[in-house]
Amino acid sequence: MSVYINSTGHFLPGPAISNDEMEPLLGLVHGKPSRLKRRILQSNGIHTRHYAIDANHNTTISNAAMAARAAEHCLTDSFIGKRQIKMLSAATSQGDVVLPGFGSMLQAELGLSDIELHSSHGICSGSMMALKAAFTNLKAGEQPNALVVASELTSRLFKASRYEAAGTALDFNAEFLRWMLSDGAGALLLETQARGQCFRIDWIRSFSHADAYPVCMSVGYPTDSNHSQSWQDYATYAQAEAAGALLIRQDVRLLENIVKLGVDGYLRLISEGRVQPDKVDHVLCHYSSHYFRGKIFDMLQRAGVGIAEHKWYSNLYSRGNTGCASIFIMLDEFRRTQNYKTGDTIVCMVPESGRFNNAYMQLTVVEA
Amino acid sequence: MTEHVLSPQGQQCLQALMRVWFEFERQLGRVPLLQRLERGQFSKADYCQLLLNWRQQVIEGSRWISRCASSFDRDYSDVRSTIIGHAREEHRDYEMLERDYVAAGGNLNDIQQAPRNIGTEALHGFLMYRAGQPNPVDLIGAMWIIEGLGQKMANDWAAQIDKTSGGDGSYTRFMRYHGANDDDHMQKLYQLIDRLCQSPAQLTAIVRTARVTARLYCLQLEEVEHDY
Repeated sequence: MSVYINSTGHFLPGPAISNDEMEPLLGLVHGKPSRLKRRILQSNGIHTRHYAIDANHNTTISNAAMAARAAEHCLTDSFIGKRQIKMLSAATSQGDVVLPGFGSMLQAELGLSDIELHSSHGICSGSMMALKAAFTNLKAGEQPNALVVASELTSRLFKASRYEAAGTALDFNAEFLRWMLSDGAGALLLETQARGQCFRIDWIRSFSHADAYPVCMSVGYPTDSNHSQSWQDYATYAQAEAAGALLIRQDVRLLENIVKLGVDGYLRLISEGRVQPDKVDHVLCHYSSHYFRGKIFDMLQRAGVGIAEHKWYSNLYSRGNTGCASIFIMLDEFRRTQNYKTGDTIVCMVPESGRFNNAYMQLTVVEA
Repeated sequence: MTEHVLSPQGQQCLQALMRVWFEFERQLGRVPLLQRLERGQFSKADYCQLLLNWRQQVIEGSRWISRCASSFDRDYSDVRSTIIGHAREEHRDYEMLERDYVAAGGNLNDIQQAPRNIGTEALHGFLMYRAGQPNPVDLIGAMWIIEGLGQKMANDWAAQIDKTSGGDGSYTRFMRYHGANDDDHMQKLYQLIDRLCQSPAQLTAIVRTARVTARLYCLQLEEVEHDY
């Protein structure tokens, strides 16, 4: 049985925020402008993004509500309505509440009845894991359709007051993601029946390497090197916060591994015959493409499996890096604005730096 | 420098070797000593212990590569020239390593007296055996791993060792030196891959030797912390 993505949708909260508008909105930490901001923004190349908080640090829309808006956007373009949805598969790195699962909160927000539910938890690859759960469920004939939604509201972590509560001056690794991540949601509708011009999911595969690498991106440890105590082990949450255990961190030194592992997974899929580089027409990658230049990519070109630059599509630079929601937001904008034709092959790649999980998917454009 | 363009067979080989390398890096990531280095819990004493165990491999390295050169017959005289040049460049590297050991606070006599650890024993035994075979084309796989490791030491480990052990670069010269002329080394490797990988059987042999070398190198590093 084949599974098709028949519709897509997205939601980005509030207006597009430029690089200059970021710091006034997120706030000056200890009253001082960031010294790292310019460097980090230059390196990630993002020029606009969206936030679900305002300059007074009120949350303007919840994570579950953003997810619901993306799902509704997706359904307005589809042949079926909420009443026909049989499965909801949802992903986020941090829901509005710690418990229950994000999927439950989203189901209530959307008003879906009697559905089968799945929540996936992780960072950037969470959406692909949610998608795979829905894809296999449909392929197994368990359900005829599924709504897959990924949403992120990380800006709450970036409020100046959060950093001030953690005391001393900010280190690079604790500040890095402040200039990298932003908010948004994306949704896909999967059905076992193709409708109109749509995307057939050929396969989804992921490779996780947590056993071989340290944690690279985290919330919950007081520093990059001290992992003896997590945020839940302090006597009070206030003590955990004061120790910096609630800050989101990126161990920047380890980031290069994500490129190597991304390439490794790609080569594996080639040797398995799943990816045929010369047949790929479009590449959607949740990663700033300029990180992928350099020695390893030079090697891929030499090895005859490079993919020409003009085939790469990304909207990260204008919509921001929205964690696990990015790849769905990207696919949605690709579907609505780019030129593609029936028979085209699309490869999606989501490298997650959390503890190194890389997910891949191949789609074929088909016409019912 | 004009860039070398690989043949389709060479390209296949390069794809496979890249995967072997990434697998090797993951194996290294599971070695407790290197996990501590990554976490920043790595002392000068750990570093000395690492050099003490590494020295024998560096000394033996120049021997297998010389033997490898001499095992290529006249049909491969171009390859022999390249490999002899390489052996000549590196055959006294261990002296630099010894100086680092002393600069880091080690005793010269200790490192010179240290025996091979059992991983080194296995790696050396394997490489010397392969190097003694007629036209040992598969050893390009071993060179691939060892060149990669040199670049990893220079670009990755040296700075991290200095950072965690409070060094200023004065005792990580051996590791840092391996980062010099990277591009030149890579060009030579690509040329050798093309020259030596001309059939599916050769590809299989090269990849197999790369994998064995990687596994035994890891064993050598795992054994750094074993006393007997």
